[in-house]
Amino acid sequence: MITAEFLCYRNLAIDALTIKPGITTIIGANGSGKTTFLKLCAGIAIPDSGTLMIDDALPRETEIGWVNEFPDRNILFVNVFDEIASPLRFRRTPCDEIDSNVRACAEAMGITHLLKRAVRELSGGEKVLVSLAAALVHHPKVLVLDEYDSHLDAHSLAKIEQGIRTSGADYVIRCTQQMDTAIHSDHLLFFDSGRITLAGTPDLVFPFLKGTAYFPVLWGCRWSESP
Amino acid sequence: MGVPMVRITLNRVYAVRDHWSLSASGTFNEGVHLVSGDVGSGKSTLALMMAELLPLSGGDIEREEITTSMLSLQFPELHVTALSVAEECASWGVTPDEILDAVGLTGKKEASPLSLSRGELKRLHLACVLAKDYDLLLLDEPFSSLDCEEKVKLCARIGQKSQGICVIFTHEQNILPRVNRIWEIVDGTLVDCGIPPDAFQHWRHVPPVIERLTALGSPPDNISRDDFLEAICRIQG
Repeated sequence: MITAEFLCYRNLAIDALTIKPGITTIIGANGSGKTTFLKLCAGIAIPDSGTLMIDDALPRETEIGWVNEFPDRNILFVNVFDEIASPLRFRRTPCDEIDSNVRACAEAMGITHLLKRAVRELSGGEKVLVSLAAALVHHPKVLVLDEYDSHLDAHSLAKIEQGIRTSGADYVIRCTQQMDTAIHSDHLLFFDSGRITLAGTPDLVFPFLKGTAYFPVLWGCRWSESP
Repeated sequence: MGVPMVRITLNRVYAVRDHWSLSASGTFNEGVHLVSGDVGSGKSTLALMMAELLPLSGGDIEREEITTSMLSLQFPELHVTALSVAEECASWGVTPDEILDAVGLTGKKEASPLSLSRGELKRLHLACVLAKDYDLLLLDEPFSSLDCEEKVKLCARIGQKSQGICVIFTHEQNILPRVNRIWEIVDGTLVDCGIPPDAFQHWRHVPPVIERLTALGSPPDNISRDDFLEAICRIQG
């Protein structure tokens, strides 16, 4: 379990939260604390007070894969292969193992054709796919994705969704503004002004958002579908 | 004498890079156009070429009655030229107080634009861009970084535009403005899908919600959220 108790950091305040293994999606307005929470989960930020633990360990003691919405801010290397290989090289993984893992991961993301390209030549969406591959290549326990889907087309998203589900990560914590993505989650958290105001399965949470821009349009069709 | 019509025509325009290429032909008349396509298909490249910011590998572009044009890039930080939010607004020729109130950034005049959150910076940038009318407005992924409510507001703002050509290059599938014409890039070629709703029949990147509504016997008239909700109402009676 991921547990938070009396967690405070900047505008974020969470008295108590438990996240079970699976895919947890965070939705809410810009500035509501979604990215702040993700940074705490990834160990990029440390709480001002309170605790956040992942299976009784601190985030910084846990294998984390992190994807920023703006991947340029995290990309370190000039070409795609080196970028995806970097988490394995930092761990001194044997070269032949690195090669096979990078190629398998690129295949799963559908970016094998990009492996020899310079990262700076890629489109915004391609950079996200490279960052996602780099986050997955070392099989993290927790995968943290910050609006990774805002630069991706539906075809790429479908492929990635499959990659995420088969990644082996115990926890996937992501935020999105695509409610069609949010539908396909085990747990949903709605953030408002630094607080979690709704939590539960999509079936429980979305009815409370009816009439807002966060209510998935397709949700209404579910009830009228012919048997 | 009639009012001169703005128009931009792509005549066998193409771009080539290693094993990748893009070719585009077609005429963009006054109104709102949507260009969809997969990641790396060349949407941003096409936007840059239409904005005359990228040399063509071949072909030519005819611009009729276009005296002002603007390209809004996918990443708003690439537009930042000033050290404060107020100076940034002024650099676009807009009054900071009016813009900042409208985008919920009151009190941030002295902040560095690069200290804003990505959503805040995108809202600020789009407000500055949309404060003026351009004969040709090119919006590259305008919905990225915006939350759902801001996407709805942006659609309303685009819908209020009464003149000029507005071309939206985007992956967004759910919250879009009404458009006059739909285009897509398929296998390196720009394809004119036509006018909604007929365009839905040929549109390979048609959003799932449109496919679903069509399957349920109630295709939407256009691609806006209001059109979707109206189609759902028809189903539910």
